[in-house]
Amino acid sequence: MTRSLRQSMAWIHGWLGMLAGWILFAMFLTGTASYFRPEITRWMQPELPMHRTSGAQATQAAVAELARSNGGDQQWFIMLPDDRTAITRVFTIPQPDATAKPAPGKRRKRGGELELDPATGKPIHARETRGGEHFYRFHFQLQLPHPWGRWLAGVCGMFMLAAIVSGVVTHKRIFADFFTLRWNKGQRSWLDTHNVSAVLALPYHAVITYTGLMTLVLMYLPYPIAINYKQPLDFGREAYGLPVDAEASKRPAPLVPIAPLVRDAEARLKAPVSRVVVRHPGDAAATVAISAATVSALNARTGTAVYSGATGALLQSPSNSGAAVSTVGVMLGLHIAQYAAPGLRWVLFLLGLTGAAMVGTGLLLWTAARRRPGATPFFGLRLVERLNIATIAGLPIGMGAFLLANRLIPAAATGRADAEVATMFYAWGAAALLQLLRPARQAWAALFAIGALVFVAIPVANALTTSRGLLASWQAGDWLFVGFDLAMLVTAVLLGAAAWRAGRPQAVRATRRVKEMVHV
Amino acid sequence: MQRVEPSTPAHPARHLRRAAVAMAARCVTALLGGYALTAIVATLIARLLPISRVEATVWAMVPAFLFYAVVALWCFHEPRTGRVMAWVWGSAIVAGGAVWLLGVRP
Repeated sequence: MTRSLRQSMAWIHGWLGMLAGWILFAMFLTGTASYFRPEITRWMQPELPMHRTSGAQATQAAVAELARSNGGDQQWFIMLPDDRTAITRVFTIPQPDATAKPAPGKRRKRGGELELDPATGKPIHARETRGGEHFYRFHFQLQLPHPWGRWLAGVCGMFMLAAIVSGVVTHKRIFADFFTLRWNKGQRSWLDTHNVSAVLALPYHAVITYTGLMTLVLMYLPYPIAINYKQPLDFGREAYGLPVDAEASKRPAPLVPIAPLVRDAEARLKAPVSRVVVRHPGDAAATVAISAATVSALNARTGTAVYSGATGALLQSPSNSGAAVSTVGVMLGLHIAQYAAPGLRWVLFLLGLTGAAMVGTGLLLWTAARRRPGATPFFGLRLVERLNIATIAGLPIGMGAFLLANRLIPAAATGRADAEVATMFYAWGAAALLQLLRPARQAWAALFAIGALVFVAIPVANALTTSRGLLASWQAGDWLFVGFDLAMLVTAVLLGAAAWRAGRPQAVRATRRVKEMVHV
Repeated sequence: MQRVEPSTPAHPARHLRRAAVAMAARCVTALLGGYALTAIVATLIARLLPISRVEATVWAMVPAFLFYAVVALWCFHEPRTGRVMAWVWGSAIVAGGAVWLLGVRP
């Protein structure tokens, strides 16, 4: 009656991978693109020049502008530029309306986001876009309302983790598989590719999956906080040195110059400053919380120094977090990889692609293992096959369409950021529906070919609609734009090759002993 | 679940329905029961670890997902559905009782 551990793990591995596979594929692909989140944003705002401003100067300029235009606000969040981001981003939270009572537990409404020139603090007039932020948010929110997208991503992350554990148990020949890749052998080759991509990058997949779950652990598992703290915010204060939420004193007092505080904080934190939060600006009880960047540290949760906004006195030194808090901070850092220099970031990007390849080949295996030669495929098999085509070949079309829309929608159009995002989903949805018109093999080829065309069109549209086309960027030594266009062309070539292979009549049809080759 | 079935069941339709119900119970136990057990065990560890409040809270979270994955996978390895449900839900209730008795850390 009972089955061996390997048999039951192989069985559950197949089902875990199939049920969460489509979402995991999308999470892997958009997450991989998010390694270049600031670079994508910069490419999507070609109007912005490239220059560098010190954190202290950028903060001072932003605060001067905010004091002029948003004096009565409750809070200012100032995100400073760094090596990869050329602009200052600012969020403001207006004073809560005394008459309107916010629903308990509901998040306070954010004011608008402002983009400022780091040097002058003046608002920037570049095209409106979500930029790389869109791929990043989609990666863990899946374009669903809060909190459902994050919960769905968490469930899929758990499926991935369980699939990794069960996959490792399943593969007795883990090191032999490492050296085994047989091309042109039908599903045998898909299994080999699945094994090679999984085994080769296994540490990466395990780490990225576990640390991905840990990024939202406070949301997924809040109960340890609830048993130890009466107020959840007390945990935040103890763990991350969040400033105490002081009330405004209602006595006006001018804000001290910010630049010296930033320089002092940089000395204390031993890292460039990335974020400044001013609470109750213009009040005698104003506070300025300054946090360091994570560009050079593995721990993504660096300390915060808090100053009085009226006197400039240090209210709270950056605390030294304990081993557990640091461990989670490092896990978060490993996931978002802001520490990675360009070379390492490209390595991580390629590893991310192996993740998408592993999930994609796994999905193909599910169908390959259940197809019987000569038999009409049953409904479930056809459904999975069509969803595979829609996801694996369709998502790249959507992602490419998002970038293409950035160049094709007029720069001055209103609501264009939302229109870009909508373009991605309409293009993806249209591709998913249109492929139903063709038999599966032709549908694969057609969608890959359309994807290749979309990615070829991106550098072309860039050259035609901006002054920063491939040749011009090359001459100007603008390597970010050169790299971006080249990456688009390489993607187009890969999709073209995929289309060519998918469309070729299959010479070899390996069908024997399917059950033994593929764990079902 | 692929299992070695008795040679020919007397009532194939009823047999199939019973297998489907058992599989659904197993899936619910793995997904929700596993989560409940993980959440309660993590809470218990956070409450009992004899180290500082903040460290105990966070150390309880770090291994939780691995624990959840192993519990959920075991749910599909153990052949007897009743045993799966008894162990997962039973230990969640026992650990939950302990958490309830201990209460919030003073």
